Amino acid sequence: MNWSLVFEQLLNGLQFGVMLFLMAAGLTLVFGIMNLVNLAHGSLYMVGAYLAVAGTQWTGSYVAGVLCGFLGTLVVGIAVEVVALRTLYQRDHLDQVLATFGLILFFNELVAMLWGRAALYTSLPAWLQGHVELFSGSRYPVYRLVVIGVGLAVGVLLWYVVAKTRLGMLIRAGASNRTMVAALGVNIRLLYTVVFGFGAALAGLAGLMAGPIYAVQPGMGELILIQVFVVIVIGGIGSIRGAFVGAIIVGIVDTMGRAFLKPLLGHIISPTGAEAAGPALASMLIYLLMATVLAFRPQGLFPAKGS
Amino acid sequence: MADAILEVRELRKSFGALAATDGVSLELREGETHAIIGPNGAGKTTLISQIAGNLRPDSGSIRFAGEDVTRLSAPARAHKGFARSFQITSIYRDFSALDNVALAVQAHAGHSFRFWRPARAERVLRDPARAMLEEVGLGARADVLAANLAHGEQRQLEVAMALATKPRLLLLDEPVAGMGMEESQRMVQFLQGLKGKRTIILVEHDMDAVFTLADRVSVLVYGRIIASGTPEGMRANPEVRRAYLGEEA
Amino acid sequence: MRPRALILGGCVLLLLAAPALAALAEQPYYIDLIRRVMIFAIAAVSLNLILGYGGLVSFGHAAYLGVGGYAVGILAFYGMHNGWLQWAVAIGASALVALVIGAISVRTRGIYFIMITLAFTQMLYYLGVSLDVYGGDDGMRLKVKSQFAGLFDLNDPVTFYYLVLVLMLGCMYLVHRLVESRFGMVIRAAKSNEARTRAIGFSPYPYHLAAFVIAGAMCGLAGALLANHTAYIAPAYMDWTRSGEIMFMVILGGMATTPGPALGAFALLMIEDLLAGWTAHWQVILGPLLVLSVLFFKRGLAGLLPGAGKNG
Repeated sequence: MNWSLVFEQLLNGLQFGVMLFLMAAGLTLVFGIMNLVNLAHGSLYMVGAYLAVAGTQWTGSYVAGVLCGFLGTLVVGIAVEVVALRTLYQRDHLDQVLATFGLILFFNELVAMLWGRAALYTSLPAWLQGHVELFSGSRYPVYRLVVIGVGLAVGVLLWYVVAKTRLGMLIRAGASNRTMVAALGVNIRLLYTVVFGFGAALAGLAGLMAGPIYAVQPGMGELILIQVFVVIVIGGIGSIRGAFVGAIIVGIVDTMGRAFLKPLLGHIISPTGAEAAGPALASMLIYLLMATVLAFRPQGLFPAKGS
Repeated sequence: MADAILEVRELRKSFGALAATDGVSLELREGETHAIIGPNGAGKTTLISQIAGNLRPDSGSIRFAGEDVTRLSAPARAHKGFARSFQITSIYRDFSALDNVALAVQAHAGHSFRFWRPARAERVLRDPARAMLEEVGLGARADVLAANLAHGEQRQLEVAMALATKPRLLLLDEPVAGMGMEESQRMVQFLQGLKGKRTIILVEHDMDAVFTLADRVSVLVYGRIIASGTPEGMRANPEVRRAYLGEEA
Repeated sequence: MRPRALILGGCVLLLLAAPALAALAEQPYYIDLIRRVMIFAIAAVSLNLILGYGGLVSFGHAAYLGVGGYAVGILAFYGMHNGWLQWAVAIGASALVALVIGAISVRTRGIYFIMITLAFTQMLYYLGVSLDVYGGDDGMRLKVKSQFAGLFDLNDPVTFYYLVLVLMLGCMYLVHRLVESRFGMVIRAAKSNEARTRAIGFSPYPYHLAAFVIAGAMCGLAGALLANHTAYIAPAYMDWTRSGEIMFMVILGGMATTPGPALGAFALLMIEDLLAGWTAHWQVILGPLLVLSVLFFKRGLAGLLPGAGKNG
């Protein structure tokens, strides 16, 4: 048993989980507070990645690229909310699903028009490259550690905002009872725009951090979006804590499953059997997990109370 | 009570810190019409919802005809003989009045896993539905879309649907709410005709209706029954006066 | 209602005459195109049952195109080309998968239901991708079409066309009968007002599940047809964007109407064909078009027909 490998995959799982969390946090708030199903959330992730690449290429500076990606996505997110999504708050879920689906097609094609369909690869500046020695014989990429760090920091920041600030109080109230919040005279429109912008920025952050690890290409958002949905179903709609726990669980289960299920199966059944069944089962793992959680706790692990 | 058909014991339901139902106990004889009155926010609809099976109580029990129904779902209770009308009109707006009642009949006319024959052609569903509409005074409006009925007519339809299931226990949540003078009187007259034939729990604000229809009255305040007895007894009861009129005085 | 019947009757006549017209105009391509549209119409008709009439926003319906298609493909892979067998397995397997997915999902509501159906479809997609022996991501070719021993030959485009036409009309009629039956009434009632439906004594779960299975099975048939039509089957058939397309057909055509899904399939696929002729980037136009149609065109094409609005 190669413990060094296990530890490395565990960290990879944590890194993936943290990115899922960034996506899930924004999306679950939008679900919980505005009751809006936003399939185009993955598009914002993609926009973040592309804007970061564009920014870096344009200015030659990595940091400028990061800012471009982050702020750019925030702007795009707010624009989308004001132009397209406002009318959808009143509509039923079906309309929201279809309209945001239309947005996905639009964004994917727009990005393909501007940058082509081939995957773009981002290069990292020297200070983010290389490996770090964790403990005897175990080396891990600096960049991935930074991603984990950023993700956890955002988690702490979110916890602080939600638990300790007035905005956070409005968010929590809105997640459990949005009609009440409106009745209290809060400027709902502004709150919605702020929440949405928040979520968009986080998605953009996830996207720009994902660039150097995964490929930047049209449709990249949808690949991760489904997994974000699984996170939210497991964690509970409207709950940031649920999003965090769900994301870490899904990230680790998925990564470890892909890495170790095949060899593990190979010990139990024949290696050829494991060759076929292993990857298939590994890719289905998180969905099986979701089905199991649903069977016992249909509302997820930490549902925000109320609607 | 010897031959109580409905026994509610120590029902409790809280929403967060708010105790909407705070230890309610109730017993009804078969054929009795029992009114539940109380100021706004007393928890009347919450109580009805728990008895009907739409809401799970936190603790307590409900027994119907000697059987514990506390854990039964709303549809299961409907098959035991429960029927309910809702405080906020809850009908099938995009179906005709006749379709609405026919659906209620269908729920109790054998199973509905029939895939070929049009339900609208089934006399066994349409005839009783039509008869029910006539009884309740909506005979002429049978083919009108429920959404196009006047508010009062919709309330009548609501009651017709409840009755179409041939219930033993009828739970009526403010049946004359929002109705004009004439319509209310017609409805009350109609409900009078049901007295004795069915057990009825009536939640109402309209005191005329209560006094005409109720055999007994329970007064619910802040989730608790503070008094229970004949309508005249309630009128004279000082606690009740305080709960109701004390707020106005 | 006479004008409505006339218009729809006219459409059916046009469909019947299409192969002859195409031959006259020396454009055999249209036989293929319309056949493809009709296959998707079957998928849309099946989705209309649970989505249009039932109100279940299932975003995973394309999964059954895949299950049906792979049933045909896998049996053919092992040398079993009997069409009756293949298509029976396609329908049966789809029904079974729908039963399993439905049993878990149909208990949930709202946003959860949408996400869960989406997730399960994706799971099937990944399953398809990881099965290398059946082509994995690239899919596999169907070298021999489903054989119906002397009855009809699917290699003849016109015969296949008429078979699909008959099946499409058959499915439309089947759903039409279903939604007017007792079963259909319960489904529609549950969509209209679930609380009321429970109060009168119906527990919606078994009905929703049954509808889900029926819809899945019918879509499985569409999958078998699609595999024969393209002579190819790949996980991409189960892609969630495909589910979205089918949903749009249902909406565009008019939910909870009999001709709606077919009209929607024609409209959407014809528009796509048209746009693709203009530019390779046609999705950048289609996307906003779809958004606008959701915002402003809810009644769908069937809503434009005379006699529309008389509900169910």
